[in-house]
Amino acid sequence: MSSTPRPAPAPATATHVLSARAITKSFTIGDRTLDILHGVDLDLARGELVSLMGASGAGKSTFLHILGLLESPTAGEVFIEGHSAWKLPVQERASVRNQKLGFVFQFYHLLSELDAVENVLLPAMILHGRGAYLGKQKALRERARALLVKFGLEHRLEHRPSQLSGGERQRVALARALFLDPPIVIADEPTGNLDSATGEKVLELLLAEQRERNLTLLLVTHDERIARRCQRVVRMADGRVHSDGDERAKE
Amino acid sequence: MYKSFLSWRYLLARRTNWIGIVGIFLGVGAMILILSIMTGFLGETKNAVRGSLSDLVIRPDFRTRIDGSKVVSDPAKVLEVVRADPRVAGASAQLSWFGLFTVKGESEDKDLIFSDAEFSKQSGVRLVGIDVADEFQTSELKQALAREPLHGDTRVGDVEHPFAPPPGYDPPGRKLPSVIVGEQLARNWLLHRGSEIEIFTVPPGVSLEEIGRDTSAASNKAFVVAGTFRTQENEMDLGTIYFERNELSKFLGRKLDFTQVLVRCKDFDRDGTAVRDEVAQKLLAADLLRGTRSMRTGQLTEVNTWEDQKGTLLGAIENERVLMAIMLSLVVLVAAFTIFAILSMMVTEKRRDIGILCALGATPGGIQALFLFIAFWDALLGATAGAIAGTWLALKIDPIEQWLSKSIGVQIFNRDVYLFDHIPAIVDPRAVAIIVLGAFVCTLLFAFVPAWRAGRMHPLDALRHE
Repeated sequence: MSSTPRPAPAPATATHVLSARAITKSFTIGDRTLDILHGVDLDLARGELVSLMGASGAGKSTFLHILGLLESPTAGEVFIEGHSAWKLPVQERASVRNQKLGFVFQFYHLLSELDAVENVLLPAMILHGRGAYLGKQKALRERARALLVKFGLEHRLEHRPSQLSGGERQRVALARALFLDPPIVIADEPTGNLDSATGEKVLELLLAEQRERNLTLLLVTHDERIARRCQRVVRMADGRVHSDGDERAKE
Repeated sequence: MYKSFLSWRYLLARRTNWIGIVGIFLGVGAMILILSIMTGFLGETKNAVRGSLSDLVIRPDFRTRIDGSKVVSDPAKVLEVVRADPRVAGASAQLSWFGLFTVKGESEDKDLIFSDAEFSKQSGVRLVGIDVADEFQTSELKQALAREPLHGDTRVGDVEHPFAPPPGYDPPGRKLPSVIVGEQLARNWLLHRGSEIEIFTVPPGVSLEEIGRDTSAASNKAFVVAGTFRTQENEMDLGTIYFERNELSKFLGRKLDFTQVLVRCKDFDRDGTAVRDEVAQKLLAADLLRGTRSMRTGQLTEVNTWEDQKGTLLGAIENERVLMAIMLSLVVLVAAFTIFAILSMMVTEKRRDIGILCALGATPGGIQALFLFIAFWDALLGATAGAIAGTWLALKIDPIEQWLSKSIGVQIFNRDVYLFDHIPAIVDPRAVAIIVLGAFVCTLLFAFVPAWRAGRMHPLDALRHE
């Protein structure tokens, strides 16, 4: 199952690894319609480090979920490597999530039944069928271990999430997100649940990987200090993009 | 790959899953064990019933017809008609009557033959007159004579000539004619070879009114026991006495030559009913049957297959088997429902995991398959273990029963009741396969609902669940 190459529908998006066009989203609660997003556009180039900021209720989480193909927009389209993602059939969209997108969540979201290595292997298990996976199992395990060792978890490889500290868990989650080498990583407040020292270490790790792999990293954060380290800051308010640019120059 | 892997992990992690597995194990195991025993019983009972019944029984209705004519009562003619059919292997005439018997020398109250049975030392018995050579061809009397008695040595001296006087029987005066009695009857009355018994009967054609006026209208005669027979039917062995047909006819005042003709077919399963119908027509044409028909079904009642006669009994056992199967499938159903409940709980509990898997690229179909896989493991473990345990128990039921009986001091299977020397159990591989398959289908069907719910779960609802 791989995404079949399709002609790019909009020329503007062809050079971008991730594009959103005129995204609107409204929820209906009872007989009231709640508009969360009012036509949001965003283009992310390969290797770009972007932070997405905004007050609670600005719609950034919803926007992130739409970009991550977890929630469908009411109108508008998301293009991943030039292909219209929401027009794909469910299976292909799942395959795009699997291979093109890496997720890091605020609450780690590891599976408690699996140890660290197995959690990292999960995307590969989803990607490969039984036969293919068992054929490559040894190599895949080696890679997962190597990645965890690189993240400083050499003594935690066989530990379950419940036996790991918050920072360790987030590092496992990071390894999981990066395991299939996706071009895009979406991180939703990855340090929001960690103390500042641990958070700093995890962030260092994430930014180092971003540079090394030339990742497109979209970082949702409340923390201005983190935003300051990004090439580009997108600020949202009331379901619209409020400002978008390199804020480092201003200082 | 993640479906089988994760489902197995979830199975191991959640202990409640084992409740479902044990449920399926018990249901499948009990079903196989009990159905095997029921099948065994049905087979053994069929054999036992058949042994004493022959394939077909022709029992002419000797009552006068409405037009005043009477059936010709001639066993030789009936036998001739029956034997003319190439599908018939053998036929024999029997004379069956009822009487009371008492052990000779204890007959002081013979004047009280119709008094309360509690106070008289008599026993009601079925008197059967047979032609030995013919009888051996149609029923299993020969085997019953040759079979080792359960108590004492009361077998006849020569199975081929069972009515020969018992060895060492040499009374002064006239020798008594020989009879063969059922093994249980002999045991109850302490009879042995050479015991003399006395039999009372009301001959055919004598009314109770006549006896009321003159008790000598009833016949009584002494006989000597030549030996015993043992069938596998309690009733037979408790209350049947065999005579030579000529001897019994003489005892009954020559008023009756035969009451029925037994027929054995070469292949009963193939042409039993065809022979029944054709023979009935030929006998009717020869005026050897009255033509009595059942008021209920309109069928001729004078010629029957053994299954017609014992249909109710066999039907009852078969019916019990089916009922038992239905009741036991309820156990499997309950087990499957347990899995439904456990899985529903799990889907709710694993909402977050479902969301994570979605984010990592699992499809809704994949999530659904993941939960179906859990049910699959449940069914696989439960049904396999159940099939093995049930089959093993069915095959080893005898030693197990003996061990259990010994340990708890209660005889669980009374061999005297059924006259089987073992608990019959037949493991039908097809039935085992159907039961296992049924458990699988049932479990997966029940699991489909929660699995479907898991597949339909919105990944974000699942992820927000923190």
